[in-house]
Amino acid sequence: MSNPILEVDRASRTFGGLKAVQEVSFSVEEGEIFGVAGPNGSGKSTLFNLITGIPFPPTSGSIVFGGTRIDGKSPHAIARSGLARTFQKDAEFPDLSARETMLIGASYAGGMSGRQAGHAADDALELVSFPEDRRDVESGHLSVYEKKQLMIGSALVSNPRILMLDEPASGLTRPEIAALDKLLLDVNRTGVTILLIEHVLSLLLSVSERLLVLNQGQILASGDPQEVIRDPKVIEAYLGGRK
Amino acid sequence: MTRTRIAAILVAFALLALVPLVVTDSYVRHLFIIAFIYAVVASNWDLSLGYTGLFNFGHLTFFGVGVYTAAILAETVELSPWAAILCGGITAALAALLISAPVARLKGIYVVLVTFAFSQLAMQVVLSQSDITGGAEGIVRIPYLQVGDYRFIRDYNLAYYYTAFAMLCVSTVFLLAVVASPFGKSLRALRDNPDYAASRGISVARQRIMSLVLSAVFTGIAGGFYAIYLRVASPEVFGFGTLSLALSMVLIGGVGTIIGPVLAALFLTFLTEAMAGIRGLEDARFIVVALAMILVLRLAPGGSIEMLSRLRLGAGFRSRRETTDTAGNRS
Ligand SMILES: Nc1ncnc2c1ncn2[C@@H]1O[C@H](COP(=O)(O)OP(=O)(O)O)[C@@H](O)[C@H]1O
Ligand SMILES: [Mg+2]
Repeated sequence: MSNPILEVDRASRTFGGLKAVQEVSFSVEEGEIFGVAGPNGSGKSTLFNLITGIPFPPTSGSIVFGGTRIDGKSPHAIARSGLARTFQKDAEFPDLSARETMLIGASYAGGMSGRQAGHAADDALELVSFPEDRRDVESGHLSVYEKKQLMIGSALVSNPRILMLDEPASGLTRPEIAALDKLLLDVNRTGVTILLIEHVLSLLLSVSERLLVLNQGQILASGDPQEVIRDPKVIEAYLGGRK
Repeated sequence: MTRTRIAAILVAFALLALVPLVVTDSYVRHLFIIAFIYAVVASNWDLSLGYTGLFNFGHLTFFGVGVYTAAILAETVELSPWAAILCGGITAALAALLISAPVARLKGIYVVLVTFAFSQLAMQVVLSQSDITGGAEGIVRIPYLQVGDYRFIRDYNLAYYYTAFAMLCVSTVFLLAVVASPFGKSLRALRDNPDYAASRGISVARQRIMSLVLSAVFTGIAGGFYAIYLRVASPEVFGFGTLSLALSMVLIGGVGTIIGPVLAALFLTFLTEAMAGIRGLEDARFIVVALAMILVLRLAPGGSIEMLSRLRLGAGFRSRRETTDTAGNRS
């Protein structure tokens, strides 16, 4: 049943002497939810950065998306080709309202225009349950949770083939995490492949079909999530990381 | 923009349209004409500086290119002055395209250096090619505007007043339409968070190039009009004086507002002129403007529009915010 949508082959990134990501290879099947875990500083976010080219491509290695090599392509072109991501840090366009932010995503990443973009924007706001009465408020004035909803919604508004989420549950309450869990499954059911970096293990294990664990920029383990988290190396890395 | 804001702008422009009925003195009308030209320059600068967040210090070069294009075409090539003015917009846009190639991928301070070097280069070209540009002397006795047999220098500058005013109106409508469009929103998005913007499909380089080129069109036309109206082209337009005056208009008026720099251009043109009449202030007036700029930036970094909104008149405009680095832990 191998039908990879994303193939990462020996991707590496160094910062001076620091090997943030080292020879990482894996592939993601079309339609699956693929989890990525690892202690802080293990290179998870950097891996996302390399794949999306934001703000830099890998120093070496290749990334193939939907049969086409994308490493070295410009970040906006990668986004337009159907690869949408969120960021670990809160991000917003402070001058733009939630609806305007969605329109940006629909028109630039999604290539839609006019009314079509408007409909897509409204649908995406609906999908992430963004409060109706907050849609015209400038993003600079939104709450942390609203900004998170908006970042996920503006990734989805362009109908991407892959959605990449970097620790979306951090700082959320239990009911908010439950809502996120449901959203991810709903989105995945429409055929969107999901790559999920997450520290909240309950969420990660509840949705992921496969799991990859990074440690110090290298793959420590990968495969069935339940097996991976019982792997002694993984337990060791996590406990070691907590010192 | 709020309804009250739009209404206020329309009233202000309607009043400006009525000014010549009350003001018949050709010198005061001249001041208005100069203010309109500066208003076009400053508000277009706001597009690249305020909306795109590009520290473009070569904006006055676009103006200078317009000045010399119109002067050379009207005086040397004997093209109609009207066509010469419009050609100033075209060559300025081409100059912007040229400078935008290196600027599109640079950051902060490097943009300042490259654009400033570009303006110095333009001035050196003008000074060295004296066969064409008149060198340090410049070009004089450029043909004036006329329609049929009507010469614009008649009637105490009346026709020049309305031509300059029309230019300001068209430029302002153009700028407001640009910033309200999805393109204009993408500029603010990439200014405030380039990584997030790129992840939503916005090409940072392309939008920067587009914003520079668009900001040059009316700036070049204003330059062309300036040359034809004053009937001279001199290398002073590339100098530091014009640059700092226009910059103070953008900053005092309020970056990222379009209308703020227009207001500030009107205000500062008359203020500097009034100070020129006070003995002892003739040369110090630009220092006064610079001090005013620093004071405004300390007290109300958003400029005049922010001050107005503190008086609850200016809701609907905001100042720009800091750029954030989203993808990396460090930048
Ligand atoms: N832009 C950068 N410049 C220098 N070092 C970086 C940069 N981005 C990440 N790093 C370093 O790379 C390592 C991996 O970071 P990161 O990918 O953010 O880890 P994670 O997301 O797994 O917590 C860390 O040591 C981090 O300090
Ligand atoms: Mg991270």
